Amino acid sequence: MLEEIKLKSLNALVEGLSQEELIWLNGYMAGLVKSSQSEVKSISSIAEKITILFGTETGNSKKLATAFAAKSRKIGLTAKLSSMDQYKQSDLEKEEILLVIISTHGDGEPPAAAKKFYDHLQSNQLNLSKLKYSVLALGDTAYPLFCKAGEDMDAKLSSFGAVSLHVLQKCDVDYELLANEWFDLIVEKLSLKRSAEIKLPIVSTGRLRKVYDGKISSKVNLNGNGSLKETFHIEIEADELQYEPGDSIGIVPENPAVKVKSIIKHTGVIATDTILIKDEEFSIEDALTKNLNIFFLAERVVKKYASIVNQEIPSIRMDLLDLIKIYPPKNAVQFKEILAVLEPIAPRLYSISSSLTAHTREVHITVARNCFQLDQELRHGLCSNYLSQFEEGASLKFYVHRNLQFKLPSADKDIIMIGPGTGVAPFRAFIEDRANTGIGKSWLFFGDQHFATDFLYQTEWQGYLASGVLTKMNVAFSRDQQEKIYVQHKMLYHAVELYNWVMDGAYVFVCGAKNPMSVDVEMALLKILESVGSLSAEEAQNLLNQLSAEGRYVKDVY
Amino acid sequence: MMAKAVNLSPIEKIKKESNSLRGTITESLRDEITGAIIDEDQAVIKFHGMYQQDDRDVREERAAKKLDRLYTFMIRLRLPGGFLTPEQWIATHNIAGENSTGIIKITTRQTLQLHGLIKSKIKPTIRAFNEAKLDSIATCGDINRNVVCSSHPKQSPIHSEVFAYADKISELLMPKTKAYYEIWLDKEKILDKKEEEDPLYQDRYLPRKFKIAIAIPPNNDVDVFANDIGLIAIIENEKLLGFNIAVGGGLSATHGNNATYPRLATLIGFCGSEEQTLKAVYETLTIQRDFGNRTDRKLARLKYTLDEFGVEWFKQELENRIGFKLEQPREYKFNERSDYYGWHQNQEGLWYYTLFVENGRVLDTENVKLKSALLEIAKTGFANFRFTCNQNVILSDINLKHKDQIEKLLQQFGVIKHTEDTSRIRKNSMACVALNTCPLALAEGQRYLPSLISKIEPLLEKYQLSEQDIIIRMTGCPNGCARPYVAEIGLVGTAFGKYNMHIGGDHQGERLNKLFKTNLDEVTILLELDKLFSEFNKLRIGEERFGDFTLREFNRLVG
Repeated sequence: MLEEIKLKSLNALVEGLSQEELIWLNGYMAGLVKSSQSEVKSISSIAEKITILFGTETGNSKKLATAFAAKSRKIGLTAKLSSMDQYKQSDLEKEEILLVIISTHGDGEPPAAAKKFYDHLQSNQLNLSKLKYSVLALGDTAYPLFCKAGEDMDAKLSSFGAVSLHVLQKCDVDYELLANEWFDLIVEKLSLKRSAEIKLPIVSTGRLRKVYDGKISSKVNLNGNGSLKETFHIEIEADELQYEPGDSIGIVPENPAVKVKSIIKHTGVIATDTILIKDEEFSIEDALTKNLNIFFLAERVVKKYASIVNQEIPSIRMDLLDLIKIYPPKNAVQFKEILAVLEPIAPRLYSISSSLTAHTREVHITVARNCFQLDQELRHGLCSNYLSQFEEGASLKFYVHRNLQFKLPSADKDIIMIGPGTGVAPFRAFIEDRANTGIGKSWLFFGDQHFATDFLYQTEWQGYLASGVLTKMNVAFSRDQQEKIYVQHKMLYHAVELYNWVMDGAYVFVCGAKNPMSVDVEMALLKILESVGSLSAEEAQNLLNQLSAEGRYVKDVY
Repeated sequence: MMAKAVNLSPIEKIKKESNSLRGTITESLRDEITGAIIDEDQAVIKFHGMYQQDDRDVREERAAKKLDRLYTFMIRLRLPGGFLTPEQWIATHNIAGENSTGIIKITTRQTLQLHGLIKSKIKPTIRAFNEAKLDSIATCGDINRNVVCSSHPKQSPIHSEVFAYADKISELLMPKTKAYYEIWLDKEKILDKKEEEDPLYQDRYLPRKFKIAIAIPPNNDVDVFANDIGLIAIIENEKLLGFNIAVGGGLSATHGNNATYPRLATLIGFCGSEEQTLKAVYETLTIQRDFGNRTDRKLARLKYTLDEFGVEWFKQELENRIGFKLEQPREYKFNERSDYYGWHQNQEGLWYYTLFVENGRVLDTENVKLKSALLEIAKTGFANFRFTCNQNVILSDINLKHKDQIEKLLQQFGVIKHTEDTSRIRKNSMACVALNTCPLALAEGQRYLPSLISKIEPLLEKYQLSEQDIIIRMTGCPNGCARPYVAEIGLVGTAFGKYNMHIGGDHQGERLNKLFKTNLDEVTILLELDKLFSEFNKLRIGEERFGDFTLREFNRLVG
């Protein structure tokens, strides 16, 4: 009856026990059996129904929610599991016990899939006085607004009169242990009605995230001469790499030395003076280079700056250097106060564009150098600029950011990939992976500005099409003709075939810009379901929701 | 000819199976992933006036960027006699800006071509041309190409009468297939194949390209003897009597293949009426269709047919087919091959301004805003555009009352100064496209010759030869597009930076030059020219031309 390993441990345990000890053990075991039965009984008598609601971007919240739902059922709780984008909002006032698991992304934003639910709470007045709840917030302390979406959710539910079962539980990237403890405490509370509040540490201390020391082995601008774009294909070597297609890597960029020097010069602070950041000592120059964000400061930071220098400053986002020039701090001491309110440089995530099966010990990323005009000045995105200036051979620290959602289905499944611009990155990884395994069909939609210069990875796709690894590819180049043509137009052009692929079980992946690309692509998908499938708008939406729930319509958009 | 059917060249099969020049072009266009078209279609699309090329300069760089070769298309217009209305020039200007490199290239055969069209731009380009009543049918491929004609109307009061022949011949020798309209202009598909039956080309077309030129003596600006058929207008007392007919000209050759050679056309007779002239032209094509070499494309031009079967045989066969005897060729005299730069007036009192366009490339540079100038002039609507086989533009048919306005624009954009200041040697120079787009190029052509000329100019000055008209031409390979074998100095590319030098051609294009030195680099080219100019300066007899001098002294010079 027992697994071999358990049997072995049991034998090891009982071996050499005295008669008395064995009898005691026998009684102890019997007691254990009895108590677990009584626990089951007590829980089912208390809680009729618990609802576990998750808002997920990369699948961590979903993974936890699913595990908790399974655990609940095992111990006799009736658990309803729902993703926030599938959840019927009008049900909220009928719920009795609600467990919310939600992650935070970017500058304190909820996952795209949670947006609708989140907005519903923000813009409605609800009466939730009958509701008991607790929020588990996933986040990353590397970002300034840690667990902001969870905080907002908790505050809203509380403001509608819902009663907290357990204080808001925030988790850093090593969330698993803490999340399980949170759930166990809630179960305990539900079953034993224990009133004493047990507080868990809000933030874990140890950073479990593995940071790799990579070496840039190759860097090439994929855009041809004359292109308006610069997209770098960067290959990074590192030992013991572990990732899967669909994952990203996180990189913390450094601030450019000229800006840092200029800040130091303007404030008169001594570059080698040290300051403390999260209990670690750094020289001011190092801190300004590697730790503190000096660009496009959040309004909340500008406000703090204003109060420190005691001046009226409009609450708009600004660069630190500009603030210093226009509203100079009194002296170096005051500037040190300012340093204390600066936020950390947030890591930037880049979709991995390689598969380990094709490139052992390597991870590839596809980075568009982000250029924009601000106050008539040409500016570059900090991290893309930072990366674009790397020479081959330079070293670079990074970590792997898992995405449990954006994953290749089993090899026999068909896949449709929609990834214009750098959105094509994970699909290169997918196809590299499929080159080893695949038997399912694959169809890639790609788009950019110009065919001649912006067809990212063109020769590779040609090779995959020729070998049959990639079944079909359609491209849209927006600026090669008078009217703009984008991927969604190509999808609509191939509506019937696309519909047939989906109905035959194909998985649809979308990667790239959230706005307007992913919105337009979704509208095109709905239109195809409607027109080819003869569905009403509502039926089409339901079908898409269902595909999404089944993990057959997955987005990684930013 | 039946015996030859055994080993047909692969292109013959493609033509025959092309379903009247359709091939799989539609499928090729539909493939979004490559900028190229299917291999077989590359032969077919030439008949539609296009070549597939790729930018050879960026092949390696693009490979590193994971980008396919930069395949683009060159499209060449069918402009019999090289004539455009101002509206058509504006249209071409706009199309060039939107769809190609922006440079409008005047070719050595009096037409315009655009480079750098990516595949998806071909259809919009042809549509836009069509709206301007322009087409590119049969401007490349194994078929009669653009018909050229002496371009300056002041040459003869009956210029327009002769000029009209270019159009008539072009129409007469057009393929009957509607593929062009179907593929590029979405015209309805032909259901009854009989409508497309082509008694001239059948389903074989010609074994190789076919070129026709019409010259009005005494100017041989069209290089009439470099063509498969050369027609020389015979004019007496301001009346067109008819045409002398010369056949079998062609300049292409292949390095290291002694069976290939440049050849000037042989005069075989005279036709006294339009009907007879057109008939003789037409049947010359049918003879070449039936007897031309279809196994070796390097030996497939009419000149080889003529030499294989003999000129007498050819004349006999032609007379059998046309049903009348050719008359004896009439007297004529050529004495130049130049364009008449600057302002000239014709017999009717209309004005003409010929402006210099280096290597036929119309673009704006720092020195001269040629492209802007021509656009502004076209916008006035007061000048037609004519192109010369020396790759220049003649602003044509200008009424006296509009002359000042045109003159002002020419001044404003620096065109007059540019034309007047350009040295004689530069005005007498010509180069083919060559690198970076021509797939045949072994060496540079139009990108290099201008700078070489700048180094030759001081040499001429050194020997007081700046006022001499010496014709110098360069090609990047031995195929002869810029007609280097009928130049007084011919430079034929053999490898990157290396050229064979030919000298001894005559000034008016009636004599081929001779290979003088091989594989010269720039330093040795200039060294040899320095010696030749020095000798010419010392030993020239009277008004002797450079080409005649170098022929006379050839053996001593080659020493």
